[in-house]
Amino acid sequence: MNFGLIIQIAILNLFVQNFVIARFLGLCPFIGQSDDKKKALGMGVAVTFVMTLASFVTYLLFAYVLKPNSWFLTTFFGTIAEDGLVDVLKTASYILVIASLVQFVEMFLKRHVPALYRAMGIYLALITTNCAVLGVALLNTTDATMEMNLLTAVLQGFFAGLGFTLVMLLMAGIRERLQYLNVPRCMKGAPIAFLCTGLMALAFLGFAGMAN
Amino acid sequence: MTSFLLGSLLVLGLLALLLGIVLAIASRVFHVDVDPRIEQVEELLPGANCGGCGLAGCAMAAEQIVAGDASPNICPVCSADARAKIFELLGLAAQESEPKVARVLCGGGAACKEKDLYHGVDDCRAAVLVQGGAKACDFACIGLGSCVDACPFEAIFIGEDGLPHVIEERCTACGACERICPRHVIRVMPKKQVVWVKCSSHDPGKVVNKICQTGCIACRKCEKECPFDAIHVVDNLAVIDYEKCKLCGKCAKVCPKHAIIDIRALRRAAAKAAKQAEQPKQPAAADA
Amino acid sequence: MPTCREEFSKGIIKGNPIFVLMLGLCPTLATTTSVKNAFAMGLAASAVLICSNVIVSAFRRFIPKAVRIPCFIVVIASFVTIVDMVMKGFFWEQSKSLSIFIPLIVVNCIILGRAEAFAYKSSVLRSLLDGAGAGLGFTLALMLVGTIREVLGAGTFWGYPIYLDSFSRPVYVPMTGLVLAPGAFIVLGLLMAFFRHLGNRRRRPDLREVTFE
Repeated sequence: MNFGLIIQIAILNLFVQNFVIARFLGLCPFIGQSDDKKKALGMGVAVTFVMTLASFVTYLLFAYVLKPNSWFLTTFFGTIAEDGLVDVLKTASYILVIASLVQFVEMFLKRHVPALYRAMGIYLALITTNCAVLGVALLNTTDATMEMNLLTAVLQGFFAGLGFTLVMLLMAGIRERLQYLNVPRCMKGAPIAFLCTGLMALAFLGFAGMAN
Repeated sequence: MTSFLLGSLLVLGLLALLLGIVLAIASRVFHVDVDPRIEQVEELLPGANCGGCGLAGCAMAAEQIVAGDASPNICPVCSADARAKIFELLGLAAQESEPKVARVLCGGGAACKEKDLYHGVDDCRAAVLVQGGAKACDFACIGLGSCVDACPFEAIFIGEDGLPHVIEERCTACGACERICPRHVIRVMPKKQVVWVKCSSHDPGKVVNKICQTGCIACRKCEKECPFDAIHVVDNLAVIDYEKCKLCGKCAKVCPKHAIIDIRALRRAAAKAAKQAEQPKQPAAADA
Repeated sequence: MPTCREEFSKGIIKGNPIFVLMLGLCPTLATTTSVKNAFAMGLAASAVLICSNVIVSAFRRFIPKAVRIPCFIVVIASFVTIVDMVMKGFFWEQSKSLSIFIPLIVVNCIILGRAEAFAYKSSVLRSLLDGAGAGLGFTLALMLVGTIREVLGAGTFWGYPIYLDSFSRPVYVPMTGLVLAPGAFIVLGLLMAFFRHLGNRRRRPDLREVTFE
């Protein structure tokens, strides 16, 4: 495994094309849950876990079942093997996988890490509707910009989740301070958070060109 | 065409079946024994996750109520009906909770002198870290409004006199303001205690006289006046013993600094003033 | 019971999905680089919203409460797939520029939220109107952000350059930063603050009188 490729994927998903700041994925929980460092960390870890697992399963699904001329199609459905089932089934099957994974993670956390489960409350179930998870599944398979195999797909999922966590933590730190400042009434909460995110995005633009 | 349809249905169907089996196995492996009553109690709670009980959401409150660590009265937003049902569910005798409200135990604000000029984070907790805040009195309300921000029901506002005012109709006595006040001058107390000491200063009377127009100077006039021996000056501050107090309001009338509040008398005075303000207009209107 | 007109109009200003409810923010920032994209996204999402609201409402008595969310997701995913394939077939360049955000309509909080909060409990007609109103509100909001970003950021509107005068000299220099990521966040933040300010001015209760205490 080319070590350079791992670094490249890492930098790409953490900084250059950060999922929240540059690709605009995962914004709803970003705005909703980033006012507290502990909540932000918990959410980030859970999302990273789900994204990595989701990348793994959806890539296998894509490569062996949905792709044109995949093993499943050529074995059982020779007539449509060339067209593949990607366009028809990608949305439905990916979301099915993600929803099940989130349910799985919920059960796991409830049993083994009950403190995190209680702290996250309803937001754990909302990871299902997190654009970032479905987004990374699509970016690994149907909208991939570079040659993908299982390992790069999983790595991309992992680092994308890490990028999400990074930005959540940064935002939480900023918002904890923002609470005490004299923000105009109409700007309190989401608007000022968006402005800060915009400035953060401006800073992250400085990473452009480091990886592609 | 049909093979497309068949293929899609089969793939989705098989996928759903597989995932269903995995989840079913997982629900056995990760099974947690949960008291079914917790969910029933949670259904009865309002589900707003407002934090008014001081716990992190209704799920947490339900757990603690069933475990016996908290009484069902802990939820301020819950209707009396739902509360009675919770008591019934747990097999406990229903306890009527006394209506409570948050009240401010400081009469300073604009009436209290300032010793410094404070320029910094607009929060009482921050101000108190800098040489104890800008007020000359070490026990006074700082007036920057941490309680206003903490109240989840928007029941407090800072008035023109620099003190927090509680809108009693909105206050649910959740205690968020009490927990956040760095000087502990805003407290939750039973609504029926209509007479209370509006001062928290333990400074000697000479000092209080110089720095505050309405602070308790420990002159003991209230102690001498009280027919029930319910009010005593302890450590330079008048303290009411509510076990003995019959809420007659004599201490409030006699206090030279108006540091004891009898809210009924104040409400009557305000109502009278409001009526008098209207009256001069009425004869003029009758003439015309 | 709100009237039919109220069901429709509440989604446009008072209950605008983006500025008031703050749902569906991901496509708002990503697809508003131009008015054309914004319009296409809004239309696609509205189509899915209306169709899914109608179906969920029509079958609401047959969907069990415990599995309602997965059922909604399946219905929404089906309509998203239809819209995706229609766009790929008839509006190829639009589909290319919107890329992953068309399939991502399935996790758009607006659609799932309306299905759960409204369509599951109301009649078909009301759900249709509610979906249409929310969809229209969403599209209008998207187009507002898109207009600001395109006109000020790229100097064009719907692809037609408007920053050039009749002699093809630039009247103003477009600020490319608005079309990039930072501009999106800043424009949206300022717009939200503006709408919130308007809302505050209309319904601010006057609490500032001091009582007798």
